[in-house]
Amino acid sequence: MQHTKQYEFKLEENYFFKSDRGLTKRVVEQISYFKGEPEWMLKFRLKALEIAEKKGRPKWGPDLSGLNFDDIFFYVRPNEKQGTAGSWDDIPEDVRKTYQRLGVPEAEQRALAGVGAQYESEMVYHKLKAEWEKLGVLFLDTDTGLKEHPEIFKEYFASVIPPEDNYFAAVNSAVWSGGSFVYVPEGVHVEVPLQAYFLLNAENVGQFERTLIIGAPGSKFHYIEGCTAPAYTSNSFHSGVIEIVCQENSHVRYSTIQNWSHNVYNLVTQRAMVHAGASMGWLDGNLGSKTTMKYPSTYLVGEGAHGEILSIAFATDGQHQDAGAKVIHVAPNTTSSVVSKSISKGTGRSSYRGLVQIHEGATNARSNVECDALLLDENARTDTFPYIEISEKTAHVGHEATVSKLDDEQIFYLMTRGLKEDEAMALIVRGFLDPVAKELPLEYAVELNRLIELEMEGSVG
Amino acid sequence: MATLLDNPAVDAAAVEAIVEAYAEPAWLADERRAALRSYAAAPFPTEKTEEWRYTQLKRFRLDGLALAKAPKDESVPERIRMRIADSDAEGVMVHKGNRVVLRQANIKEAGVVFTDLRTAVREHEELLRRHLYSVVNATQTKYTALNSALWENGTFVYVPKDVEVELPLGAFTTADAGGIGLGRTLIVLDVNSRLTFIDEYTSEPFEERLFFDAATEIVLQEGAKLRYVSLQNWSRNVAHMNKLRAHLGKDARLESVTVSLGADAARAEVESRLEGPGSESEMLGLYFADEGQHFNQFTLQHHATERGFSDVLFKGAVRDASQAVYSGLIVVDPHAQKTDAYQTNRNLLLDEEAEVVSIPQLEIAANDVKCSHGSTTGPVPEDQRFYLMSRGLRPEVAEHVLVTGFLYEVMSRVTLPKVAEYVERVVQAKLGVPGVKEKL
Repeated sequence: MQHTKQYEFKLEENYFFKSDRGLTKRVVEQISYFKGEPEWMLKFRLKALEIAEKKGRPKWGPDLSGLNFDDIFFYVRPNEKQGTAGSWDDIPEDVRKTYQRLGVPEAEQRALAGVGAQYESEMVYHKLKAEWEKLGVLFLDTDTGLKEHPEIFKEYFASVIPPEDNYFAAVNSAVWSGGSFVYVPEGVHVEVPLQAYFLLNAENVGQFERTLIIGAPGSKFHYIEGCTAPAYTSNSFHSGVIEIVCQENSHVRYSTIQNWSHNVYNLVTQRAMVHAGASMGWLDGNLGSKTTMKYPSTYLVGEGAHGEILSIAFATDGQHQDAGAKVIHVAPNTTSSVVSKSISKGTGRSSYRGLVQIHEGATNARSNVECDALLLDENARTDTFPYIEISEKTAHVGHEATVSKLDDEQIFYLMTRGLKEDEAMALIVRGFLDPVAKELPLEYAVELNRLIELEMEGSVG
Repeated sequence: MATLLDNPAVDAAAVEAIVEAYAEPAWLADERRAALRSYAAAPFPTEKTEEWRYTQLKRFRLDGLALAKAPKDESVPERIRMRIADSDAEGVMVHKGNRVVLRQANIKEAGVVFTDLRTAVREHEELLRRHLYSVVNATQTKYTALNSALWENGTFVYVPKDVEVELPLGAFTTADAGGIGLGRTLIVLDVNSRLTFIDEYTSEPFEERLFFDAATEIVLQEGAKLRYVSLQNWSRNVAHMNKLRAHLGKDARLESVTVSLGADAARAEVESRLEGPGSESEMLGLYFADEGQHFNQFTLQHHATERGFSDVLFKGAVRDASQAVYSGLIVVDPHAQKTDAYQTNRNLLLDEEAEVVSIPQLEIAANDVKCSHGSTTGPVPEDQRFYLMSRGLRPEVAEHVLVTGFLYEVMSRVTLPKVAEYVERVVQAKLGVPGVKEKL
């Protein structure tokens, strides 16, 4: 490839490599070089970099002043050999504690500690993988997807979220690495969820993952992303892009519950393009990070398309969860529902920032938005900014939001039944989030509850 | 970037001319000069400025407009005479351009002041000095800065402690020429007093374009209760900008209604600041946009203290290729515990080309609060229409009944029968109900 000649890299393919700090043209070229990408991808990355530079950071929303690009390594190439990339001791204390307490992803613990790959879930994964492959399902990391299925890849990549979309999408487009590539062929129903545990893979996906999910006509599947994905590197910036295409009459669900460590800026763009008769469901949970900006969006572009977004946010001391949802109705008879639940504790701040748009021609569109916020402390804070723009007469759009505090009477009642105060609080919080937990497969619901317990711990006194 | 508000007529000479013409006291002259500086320093809103994002700023342009001159004649227009005869108001004042052309007060209660601002500067200087600019001032928006620098006249009402003004008072503002018009209302209710006040803006169509910049300052001291109606039904050559803001003391209560029916474009900012514990603010709004009108409403419920109650209900309908924008904000400060705040916006879309934007927002920093907001937008319900038609109503009549019924929820909370009737007539005329237009 032409661009490789510009540099005399002395590094072996499998050498542990860190890019320069900061977001520069050189870094972008290095990433593309190390991945051995086709020329069009390098061009795409460089163009995206230009767009990012031109756009600049958003001037609204949470405070991002603590985010200094000059300190950030935009690409860290992991060692090919699993286990030595990070030793258990390198993991920050709070993350390690979370792992230990969670119990469920014990396998993850071991992977991080470098014990090896022969654990139960890996074998399960391989068994499932074979089953999926029989059906023609592609489930790869995005880098491999680009190499092995260039036609499908090129057709859909950046078709849902172009780099022009927003600043962070442009940054991701320039430096993306890893993520999931899913293609489910026409009419195929995958009964068990496709699950991606990023940290389990030898391929460390980095913090700029690019996920591309395509549901061919009539397909049906549920994709779940690594339930807890604590950041264990010193990198404090995560900016993923998740693009989903739901072709005619497909049913796609995407679930994630993220629990980044509290020094991470988590700025993600996720969007689905939903065609006629298809339906898309998002379940988006945000518990960790320092600052989150995340608004799963659904474009209902085909007649009768349906979108659902369930979003939860839990903001504790020093956190700002700026989450929300976007639904754009472009076609007739499209329907959508958004349920957003947020909890703020300590000095935590949660925001719901939403947009419902009914375009001209989207006749008989129906949309309902429900936001409930729970404030646990005097210092906690919550905001809702739901934008509703309607240009079609036959639209039915409703929005309801409530804010309330933890009910003293309920706590008192539970305490008279022998629960400690923080247990009582955790129980109530779980009840508040129950509608969301119900939508998750059992093991994830269990994990969500454990995470809540961890967040609630020591909340009293 | 287009400097949408840039206007050579707004300058120091214009301020000095007013100061001189009315021989204003030094404090007022200083306020005006400072306001002009704020006006010059304030950035021009653009369509990217969040607060103005859905406002069609081009409709609120000032460029090319001179400050409105004195009216061509000082008679009271027939239209206003009819409105006065058909109004709930007992004491009335008529502002035509920058002149007061009628003042007729039938006030029996002692100590009540109901006069124009010019007279008030002379006769009640201490009250004015204390309250004027205390609620609406040059620091808020470009338009309030403009008003603060260049207002010429307006209405002043003061109700002393423990006095209840039984009959409603009202000010009618009209114009017979274009340019930049400025109106200002200052209402001060002393401890435990009560008042009902109607501010009406209306005119016959005239040749030129009028940009009208209105400011309403309301001071409610402890236990005071005010019912306030702002009714805008300008002719279509007018753009109307109105900042209405109230400061509420302990246990004070405001019931306001903001009605937007006329003008080519109107933006109403209706704001309450609950400063005293136990204060209550109910802000109602009603709008009906047709024939390309652009109505823009903003509400603010700012709970700065504990135990406040506030409720916003804004309902509107849009017809033809017109737009309605509602954005509202509930702010609860960290120590404003036991706040109880509600905000509702409901819209009816009557035509394909009509557009509605609704943004009900909450910013809550206290935890022991009850807050909720809701917003709905949709067409006239088919089943209700069908029901009425099954009872023998023609489709268009069924629609009239349903739209008036929808909007009447707001007017039914206003206990001023004549205001409600008038609003209903205007709505019906807009809906094309036969025989109504003639009665307006």
